Amino acid sequence: MNVPDHFTNPWLRWQEAALEESVNLAGRLRVLPGLVQRAQAVRKGVSASEVVYEEDRLKLLHYLSPTPPRYRTPLVFVYALVNRPYILDLKTGRSVVAKFVEHGFDTYLVDWGVPAAADRFLTLDDYINGYLGNVMDYLCERTSAEQLNVLGYCMGGTMSAIFAALHPKCVKNLILLAAPIEFGTRDGLLNLWSDSESFNVDKFVDAFGDCPAEFLQAAFLCMRPIQNFIQKPIHFFEHMHEEKFLDDFFATETWLQDNIPVPGETYRQFVKYLYQQNLLVKGRLPIGKHIVKLDHITCPVLNLIAGEDDLVPCAQSVPFTDCVGSKDRQTIVLKGTGHIGLAIGGRAQQELWPQACAWLAKRDK
Amino acid sequence: MSEPSQNFAEQGAAFQKLWLESTSKLMQAAFTFSPNSTPPELVREIRDHILQALGESWNEFLRSPQFRENMRQWMENAVAFRAMSNDFLARARHEMQAPARDDIDAVLLNLRHLETRILDRLETLSTQVEALRQQPPAETASAPAGQGRARTRAVPRGAKNRNHNPPKAS
Repeated sequence: MNVPDHFTNPWLRWQEAALEESVNLAGRLRVLPGLVQRAQAVRKGVSASEVVYEEDRLKLLHYLSPTPPRYRTPLVFVYALVNRPYILDLKTGRSVVAKFVEHGFDTYLVDWGVPAAADRFLTLDDYINGYLGNVMDYLCERTSAEQLNVLGYCMGGTMSAIFAALHPKCVKNLILLAAPIEFGTRDGLLNLWSDSESFNVDKFVDAFGDCPAEFLQAAFLCMRPIQNFIQKPIHFFEHMHEEKFLDDFFATETWLQDNIPVPGETYRQFVKYLYQQNLLVKGRLPIGKHIVKLDHITCPVLNLIAGEDDLVPCAQSVPFTDCVGSKDRQTIVLKGTGHIGLAIGGRAQQELWPQACAWLAKRDK
Repeated sequence: MSEPSQNFAEQGAAFQKLWLESTSKLMQAAFTFSPNSTPPELVREIRDHILQALGESWNEFLRSPQFRENMRQWMENAVAFRAMSNDFLARARHEMQAPARDDIDAVLLNLRHLETRILDRLETLSTQVEALRQQPPAETASAPAGQGRARTRAVPRGAKNRNHNPPKAS
């Protein structure tokens, strides 16, 4: 094949590259004045929803669909306590919630709200047996369903697993998304840093009350300092003239910076019982007056894991399916994807979520 | 050598090791590029290699016992400072005859204990009522305990704050 001259002549290629760089630079300068406005205009959650239940700071969102649901059992998304749940409904084309709504599921999402200083004594028992239990009761009453499908993301996945173990009859199908279950691994930096020798959680909670949002944010950023403090700004500068990149960047960054504090006692229990003592997989985790046994989970289980997750490494999620008593259990590891990419990434949207919808649909007949 | 100075020396050595390794990786990275690349591409390639090398070095450093020891000391100092400022503010508020955070926490804890006791009692009563309902009228033997759901909060928490929209008629 004959290659045109201007592609092989280095001098011409250099000129072409220089011209391209100049055009890009002009594009960057053009968008610069409107960046702040654009960052402020990011919508937090894009799908149409209504609040159907409120308790203290908790809100239960029901996602509206133009067509009636095709499947009888409602699906409840349970998000973590450390960030806001709109990552699951970040933007059009990248919404996990929308995938399930479009597929015909009657979809709900638990928004825990932002805890205040007065909530510092709320425990995992309050969240799991109290709030989540009440949400489940309410939904069973509202939809006349006897059981619900539950999808838990990250810490919300751990909480969902605990709920399913304590109330196996309430959960029809359980989907975990990048959920930490086995805390004995030392693959992740968070596991190393929260070791009892490195971190005295009792003193920390006694002094600070709630775990400050800034503390969590700093810990997450410091896990990958070069990527977060150097590569990301450079990448942003190089691509800020691209409309689609800007949209994605601001949507993701708005969510990433939107940390919330975690109630002190909940944080203390989560770090001490799970990160430091790994009681969940040992079958000794106390929640209220009960001990959590994961083998009490007998419903079908789907465990979705990101292959390159630095927050919840594979080794933390994979053992879940071996701990449950379910016969119908499946694990999907999406290679080359990180913690957030598992929810909103292009590959996850194209490959993982249609698969997850089909898995749930098959078990809801 | 005393323990603090030994710790300090170890941390210094770990940090020095990080920079020595990083520098050597950076030098390697700086010379791994494709000769056919145009200058902007070349710069990007070198930069990416350098940042990747730096990222790997930092990841190793963040996992090192020396960094964790450093982090522990830093956390302890932060906690001590916070406890000191809490104590100072509490005294200042008490001097002004105003409630401090500790006082509010104590009230909250008392409320929680009260709530827990009431909920526990309600749960026991609820279990007993359930057992009585299931019993045939003639039978007098007590029903087995723990037949209800394993939920500790039989009565919704913050019942006054519950607010829900009724289900829509289909």
